[in-house]
Amino acid sequence: MKLEGKAKMLWIHFGEDDKWNDKPLYRAIVEKCRELDIAGATVFRGIEGYGASTLIHRSHLLSFSSDAPIAVSVIDSEDKVRQLIPFLDEMVDEGLIAMSEVEVIKYVHQDGARS
Amino acid sequence: MLTAGPAKKVTIHVSENHKYHGQSAHAAILDFLFYRSVSGANVVRGIAGFGADHHMHTARIESLSADLPVRIEFVESPEKVEELLPKLQEMAGAGLLEVQDTTVVKPSEVPNKRAQPSVPALKREGKAKLMRIFIGENDKWHDKPLHKALVESMRANDIAGVTVNPGILGYGANRRIHRDTALHLSHDRPMMLSVVDTEEKLRAFFPILDSMVQQGLVVLSDIDVIKYTHDYEGEGRRKEVRS
Repeated sequence: MKLEGKAKMLWIHFGEDDKWNDKPLYRAIVEKCRELDIAGATVFRGIEGYGASTLIHRSHLLSFSSDAPIAVSVIDSEDKVRQLIPFLDEMVDEGLIAMSEVEVIKYVHQDGARS
Repeated sequence: MLTAGPAKKVTIHVSENHKYHGQSAHAAILDFLFYRSVSGANVVRGIAGFGADHHMHTARIESLSADLPVRIEFVESPEKVEELLPKLQEMAGAGLLEVQDTTVVKPSEVPNKRAQPSVPALKREGKAKLMRIFIGENDKWHDKPLHKALVESMRANDIAGVTVNPGILGYGANRRIHRDTALHLSHDRPMMLSVVDTEEKLRAFFPILDSMVQQGLVVLSDIDVIKYTHDYEGEGRRKEVRS
């Protein structure tokens, strides 16, 4: 896998309770990214937020019924990211998907070899 | 307060076991100097020596009861030294007490909390770069968590700011899934560091970053800085609000 120079970064925002085929949506998105051989995806859990639905998402530390805001960051070349977008369109019912340009400085494997 | 110009340097030689009112003489002398507001004093322990009694003081391993030579030094104005000498003579006991003429070229400075803040590294507004570094929580640099080492290294290199964001799930260059478990016992979460500074500063940091990050992804994007203030700038305002 090669990733260098200009690339695109997607940020997908939704709630932790959101599901896709009975599976947490964030997990489904990461799996889809792997399937499409996207360079990388990372899921972050926020502590409070609101979005398109203006519903306040808040994580409850003491209860396991968490509906925290979730943000998934995906980075790859524009082609690859554009391949992913139709799937995201279908999977994310309620949320926000934003794309921005990034410059890749470094993308290395475990063995240190650049790819 | 010591000022530049002629001054006296006082050196007191005692042995480590020398006592003054049941306390180590060097500790007693240091306390005395401290509470008499001497501008600064040092206790230096020698590794071997002998004095008037021609008894050799050494730290040889075979003699565990090391009685090493100790030197207490300080620099003060001639008047102040004059005032302290009688008591010091008493405390030094059998030790040697000497006074030399010296010149203070630059007195040591007391860090002034009210001093003017240094100019912020980053301009308050305008174009800047946001660098994101994606690594794993388990990644190490010299046996230290990499994310921690990176933050320390950035701080040492005057990078304007960095935030470590732990993720809950992710994968990267090595295709390995990083996951957080429900009980947060896992230490293999994905980590994202967000670093903001000017392009110049960030690019200057790349070689260091390159040597530290063995696996991961580093990307750079353009941002507009809206606000970048130091804490103390808002201090007065916040106090007003509180009162």
